[in-house]
Amino acid sequence: MSVFRLATWGWLAAVGVAGFATYEVKYQVAQVDDELGRVNHQIDGDRDQLRVLSAEWSYLTQPARLDQLRQRHLSLVPVTRAQLGSLDQIPFRSGETAGPAVASAPASPAPSAQARPAVRLPGGADLVSVKPGAAR
Amino acid sequence: MKPALHLDENPCRPRHYKPAPCGALPKEGPEKELLETSRTRLLLTGVLFALAFAVIGFRLVDLTVLKGGDARISHAHVQPHTEATRADIVDRNGVLLARTLESEALVAYPKLVDNAAEAARKLVRVLPDLNQQDVQAKLGSGRKYVRLKRQLTPDQQFAVNNLGIPGIKFETAGFRVYPKGELTSAVVGYIDTADNKGLAGIERGLDDELKTSDDPIELSIDTRLQYVLTEEIQAQINAFGAKGGAGIIADVKTGEIIALASLPNFDPNDMSGANDDNLFNRATLGTYEMGSVFKIFTTAMALDDHVTTLAGSYDATEPIHIGRFTIHDDHAKHRWLSVPEIFMYSSNIGSAKMAVDAGADRQRDFLDRLGLLTEPKVEIPEIGRPEWPSAWHLVNTMTIAFGHGISVSPLQMVTGVSAVVNGGILHRATFLKHPDDYKPAGARVLSRQTSEDMRRLLRLVVEQGTGKFGAAPGYLVGGKTGTAEKVDGHGYAHKELLSSFIGVFPINEPRYVIMVSIDQPHPNAQSRGEATGGWVAAPAVSRIVQRMAPIVGIPAVDEDSPEIRRALLVDFAPSLGRKIAAN
Repeated sequence: MSVFRLATWGWLAAVGVAGFATYEVKYQVAQVDDELGRVNHQIDGDRDQLRVLSAEWSYLTQPARLDQLRQRHLSLVPVTRAQLGSLDQIPFRSGETAGPAVASAPASPAPSAQARPAVRLPGGADLVSVKPGAAR
Repeated sequence: MKPALHLDENPCRPRHYKPAPCGALPKEGPEKELLETSRTRLLLTGVLFALAFAVIGFRLVDLTVLKGGDARISHAHVQPHTEATRADIVDRNGVLLARTLESEALVAYPKLVDNAAEAARKLVRVLPDLNQQDVQAKLGSGRKYVRLKRQLTPDQQFAVNNLGIPGIKFETAGFRVYPKGELTSAVVGYIDTADNKGLAGIERGLDDELKTSDDPIELSIDTRLQYVLTEEIQAQINAFGAKGGAGIIADVKTGEIIALASLPNFDPNDMSGANDDNLFNRATLGTYEMGSVFKIFTTAMALDDHVTTLAGSYDATEPIHIGRFTIHDDHAKHRWLSVPEIFMYSSNIGSAKMAVDAGADRQRDFLDRLGLLTEPKVEIPEIGRPEWPSAWHLVNTMTIAFGHGISVSPLQMVTGVSAVVNGGILHRATFLKHPDDYKPAGARVLSRQTSEDMRRLLRLVVEQGTGKFGAAPGYLVGGKTGTAEKVDGHGYAHKELLSSFIGVFPINEPRYVIMVSIDQPHPNAQSRGEATGGWVAAPAVSRIVQRMAPIVGIPAVDEDSPEIRRALLVDFAPSLGRKIAAN
């Protein structure tokens, strides 16, 4: 008799817990679903904005416009052949031999103030310097 | 069959009934059998239910506690494909050239508008660029639906919405933007905004793909080189007061068109400025008598068919009289010329004789093989049909040898010259980018040796011949000049020229063919009365090469190094004279 009653209460409690849990989960799912919709909407919006912005970027980087801006604000010029070279055109620093670079590196003294750059760009650094105050 | 059981005999009686002393269960017979069957069935059903519940239970535990078998499938939210959607067009480096954006259009349902005058007044107050009378007329028209304004900004939409006028609605509509504007208009083309239909260029040629594809269409065009080409052609048009110009940069190994310009051009974002002249694609639709640049084909044919060799020579002492024509050299040498000299001094007489030696049939076959007699098949619809004589007489053979009496488009020229210099393989021209490792199939149209000889000859023209202004210090340019007298209604007009230069770079191992044609240039103060291809078009190619080489990563070389000298040497019997004839 008492066993039967205990079992009944037990089951009732289980049903109650299960019902509450189900409700709770459903409620959470609805919330997450709302969140998903909101995020998706935001993604759509962001994506549209990205499309507009990248189109605008492409518009603003028209070569002709960049060229005009360069002439107005910078003293940069298009790269010429004088500024291009290959690695084997760079001579070794004095004191270094043409051996493997890795092996000779530890032996050479640390770069000091006397170490002069081995390569000079034709035309010097002027080629790529920015005119002071040219930006305004 | 079976007698009804009395209450006391019922084995399943309720418990609170005091049972009568139970009768013994039947030990055997039909009753016992029935009981056994029932028990078995009950057991079986019970087991089935237990199994089902166990499975559901396990799955529940699995899903909730163990988070399910598979990881959660997450996928990006995809916007639906709508009517007005159209794929992007990008250049070979992914630079955006055309894109459809969405905007709100202002529309009205006049029947729902109560007071047209009042509504119009309010609308014009927030949208000052609208005309009040116009709007009032539309709203009072009694039509079902009118469109008031395209492309509202979000601010404007907000303001109109705040007016709260009944019958005024917004409608999402796509509009096409071309960020690079007129720079790429000759290739990209434009669309009819109202019905999202391509009307020119790639927009028309690949209309169906653009409507269905989700991925952008990748063109072979490089916007940076497109700018270089366009700017340099424009500079020459300005310097020589020309009517227009066209230019192409093509990859000789793949047939890809890297840049293509036709000037004057139009702005696809604002078609109000478009007219027949600037919509006309001079590089692909226009066919012209190209003049001496055609000698590239004549010489290649003669060498490839072993009609002559680099050591051969022709008598250019006297002009050729044939019928009512006289073929003469612009700056005649009045002597025998070697084959390389004929090419470098651009001798019409020598080229005509060379072609006559080869014969009309061979000439036509050769030009046909190079695709010069048929419309090229490319992705844009603006393609000119070449014009050539149906009856190929002796005089035609002679004039075609130096590029008169046959009209082809610059696109065909570039395709043909690519095949001549790239080792002899003809590739179809294309405006679409090939994948990086893709090796397009081509047809062999001339021998490797002929191609090498032609490269030497083209270099000779730039070093010592009519194309000296095409040279670019540090870079190995080869090329050929051409100056054609344009045909007007009554025959050749002496003052109207089409001046061209076809450059090949680097000539020792060709990668690019660069063609520049200037339409109706006039001599200027610097050009000593000349408006020929060598004066007008060659300097543009020289500057293009110097600007493009760093962009495409072709290093400068020492033009006088022994290896290069050897690779490009031609023995043209220099003792015969080194004076340079113009064109």
